Amino acid sequence: MTATCVFDPSKMTPRRLMRRRFMFFTAVFSFTSLATWVMADLLWRVGSFGALEVSLLVLFVVLFAHISVGFCTAMFGLYVINRGGDRCRITQTVDWNKDTPLGRTAILVPVFNEDVSRVFEGLRVIYGSLKDTGKLEHFDFFILSDSNRPTQWIQEEVAWTELCKQVGGFGRIFYRKRRQQINKKSGNVADFLRRWGKDYRYMVVFDADSIMTGRSLVQLVAMMEANPHAGIIQTAPRLARGESLYARIQAFSNRLYSPLFLAGTNYWQQHEGNYWGHNAVIRVQPFIDHCALPDLPGSEPFGGRILSHDFVEAALMRKAGWTVWLAHDVEGTYEEGPPTLIDSAKRDRRWCQGNMQHTWLLLARGFRPANRFHLLMGVMGYVSSPLWLLFLILSTGMVISQVVGHDIPFDRPEDYTSLFGYRVYVPEAFFLFLLTLLLLFLPKIVSVILTMADKASAQSFGGRPRLFLSALLEIVTSSLLAPINMLFNSKFVLFTVLGQGVGWVTQQRQAAADGTDWREAILTHWPHMAVGLVWGASAFALSPMFFWWMLPVVLGLLLSIPISIFLSKGGIGLKSREMGLFLTPDETQPPAELTLLEKNLSECYQHMQPIEPLRADYGLLQAVLDPYVNAVHVSLLRQRRPSEESREWFTELRGRLLRDGPAQLSQKEKMALLLDAESMIWLHEELWRQPGEALAEWWRLAMRQYNVLTTHPVTALYR
Amino acid sequence: MELSLESLSSFRPRTGTLEEWNAAYVRVEDYLRAHRIHNRLHQSRLIQVILVRAAKRHERMPTVSPTTLAAEETEKWMDDWFGAVLGTTDHSHERIAIDGRVALLLCDGPQRWPYAFLEDKNVPQDFAQAMTASAMEAGPDMKTSNMVPQPLDFGVISETAGEVLERIERYPLLGMLALWALFLGVLAAIFYWTR
Repeated sequence: MTATCVFDPSKMTPRRLMRRRFMFFTAVFSFTSLATWVMADLLWRVGSFGALEVSLLVLFVVLFAHISVGFCTAMFGLYVINRGGDRCRITQTVDWNKDTPLGRTAILVPVFNEDVSRVFEGLRVIYGSLKDTGKLEHFDFFILSDSNRPTQWIQEEVAWTELCKQVGGFGRIFYRKRRQQINKKSGNVADFLRRWGKDYRYMVVFDADSIMTGRSLVQLVAMMEANPHAGIIQTAPRLARGESLYARIQAFSNRLYSPLFLAGTNYWQQHEGNYWGHNAVIRVQPFIDHCALPDLPGSEPFGGRILSHDFVEAALMRKAGWTVWLAHDVEGTYEEGPPTLIDSAKRDRRWCQGNMQHTWLLLARGFRPANRFHLLMGVMGYVSSPLWLLFLILSTGMVISQVVGHDIPFDRPEDYTSLFGYRVYVPEAFFLFLLTLLLLFLPKIVSVILTMADKASAQSFGGRPRLFLSALLEIVTSSLLAPINMLFNSKFVLFTVLGQGVGWVTQQRQAAADGTDWREAILTHWPHMAVGLVWGASAFALSPMFFWWMLPVVLGLLLSIPISIFLSKGGIGLKSREMGLFLTPDETQPPAELTLLEKNLSECYQHMQPIEPLRADYGLLQAVLDPYVNAVHVSLLRQRRPSEESREWFTELRGRLLRDGPAQLSQKEKMALLLDAESMIWLHEELWRQPGEALAEWWRLAMRQYNVLTTHPVTALYR
Repeated sequence: MELSLESLSSFRPRTGTLEEWNAAYVRVEDYLRAHRIHNRLHQSRLIQVILVRAAKRHERMPTVSPTTLAAEETEKWMDDWFGAVLGTTDHSHERIAIDGRVALLLCDGPQRWPYAFLEDKNVPQDFAQAMTASAMEAGPDMKTSNMVPQPLDFGVISETAGEVLERIERYPLLGMLALWALFLGVLAAIFYWTR
């Protein structure tokens, strides 16, 4: 980032922006047209141009246009980077030599049953990093909990108290637990805004696994101050802290390839960017005024509550006239990726439903074209999978009809390619294949070349040979994963349309420590393997040539089970790191914040776990038994006057809890007790008052062992 | 603490069984340990004072378990002590107990002043100051805002589709028939294409 201010957003006139977009979309259109021509010619020459061929061509146009967008984005990114970078960046609007005054900013950390140690250690790192900038006084932190598991909730309260004690954060780090988890994350943030929004000019929204350095936070707020029309400034978070091979490969590809895509995206979108839900700064008042989410027509899965709120919020912000920027060159912004292929699929399942809902909004009145395009790309991110699948099925169908019908192509397309009447003596299907490969892999190849050309950059990826080898292996891995993800996403789209949930295999406890176990992998991937087997065998039986065309698809499916297990292993991830493979600059030159987080977490995870019989209800145990945890918990509860009926119910519930132990209560009953201050006070007093024979064995064990082996109780965050 | 160690060493409860008093001892010990009072010397002094008080009450209330009486005595002593240290003797029992324990936790009382807990006479000055200065704020004062969704015009196509969808949702049978019709349509198309 240069030090002086060189960009005035008002200089980006509509005409200038239109010129950029015209170039971009013309490029997309040109590539799609060229490929469509070749495909149409190929279909024309292999036989009659009937309904099957028309369907194939239509699918091809849609799918090729989709991948062309990615390709052209990367190529425009290359153009921008080769020119020494785009001047028209939001980060260029601030003179970094000057000390910009900052507005009051709330850092929001919405959490929902997350790893408590990770959330609070992350917060500790961010807090410390902000303190080092000397700008801490402008920031407040809010942990906005929607956790609905008793142990999780109590651990969060304990960790919050401990963190505030340790860093002196009372009055700056706040904790709020919602009684009703309405509208998930967007509802959680909206609840904050309704309570405290007026107090803050900006908010930075985090995910539970987000990390941002103090410097990057200060930069974001400074950019907001310098750009009074900016509604949202989104950063481009890097994937970090991956341990499994899968996570490391994702982080590597994100770090290596994203600069091209980000630079290209910023080139054509400018102030009409998108919001990705976290690691972004938002101007609070316009967000309150314009970004409350309306319900969609109908009910879930397609209608009802908007699940993927971020794209829609960006569109609403733009609709109201506020700008949305991508600050892709802000360093020090991180998130964590899913550790395994199956975890990634679980996340996709959620995102798929949310993105498909956006179909409703594509034609919403008042939305900017750029936002419609973002929404469309989000929908296509998932819908393209069943379309690819359908395309491949129809292609197979075409081969079947040729073999069964003994059709002989009347004009052999394997002899030459016809381009606008000119003959190029390359098999036409091969030409098309090469063109597709070019679009898919050229951005990656260019990224590798660009990085290798700069010695320091290459060194930060482990050196040129290792970078080259890692990129090669990444390309192989992503090619093998593509058909598996295609089947996953096709299933998600289908199930979303049918309004069905997707069931997942529960991990076995022992195996969970190091990735996916065989049972989980087999039960999850057997349909992929079966499809691969049937498809591959059929293709080979029909035509060995066709089998070779299908091999890249079939191979990934056939090997889905071992691939999934292999990639999920932390040990293999570690080994690859030791070998210098898939290294990223965040591993070779880690920022102090990530190093500190790693160190703190390893200390946290070394602490003794509660003994097995007490572990499941340890949160409830602490809230009832521990005098301090009980006091903190009751202090954080809102006092309520329950009705006579509920008082009776609570009385009966408390008695059962002490007499029979927590295993006899449902999670809902435990949560109800934890939410009732009167019950929590009563339970603490009565537990310690009642003679042993009146208490469940579980409580007697809890009292005898509590604080025996450690001087402090076991919590998610104590040192 | 009004009893000396000499007088405590001759303590013999006149009512209740040995098992009952042992159970009461263990309960008070557990409770103090839950308060992170790990100083054995201090712990045993507190336990004995509590048990002596409980034993006196047990003579008047022999039907009540010594464990219960000991727990009540502990609570009462703590209430008095917290009230005195924090200057909140006029508050309710619950309030004193909760505020007192929170204050003790926040100032790390048991760790930093291992002999101060339940000390009636010689409360260290800095400990008392730390206790009264301890404050926990879960959230700042609320300044409520109104965040209401603005109606969104989804456009003619989406609105029409929405109306159709909502109508179909009212008639689930119709929805199922439409789905089956779609399925049959796909089958028919595949049949036609593969002729």
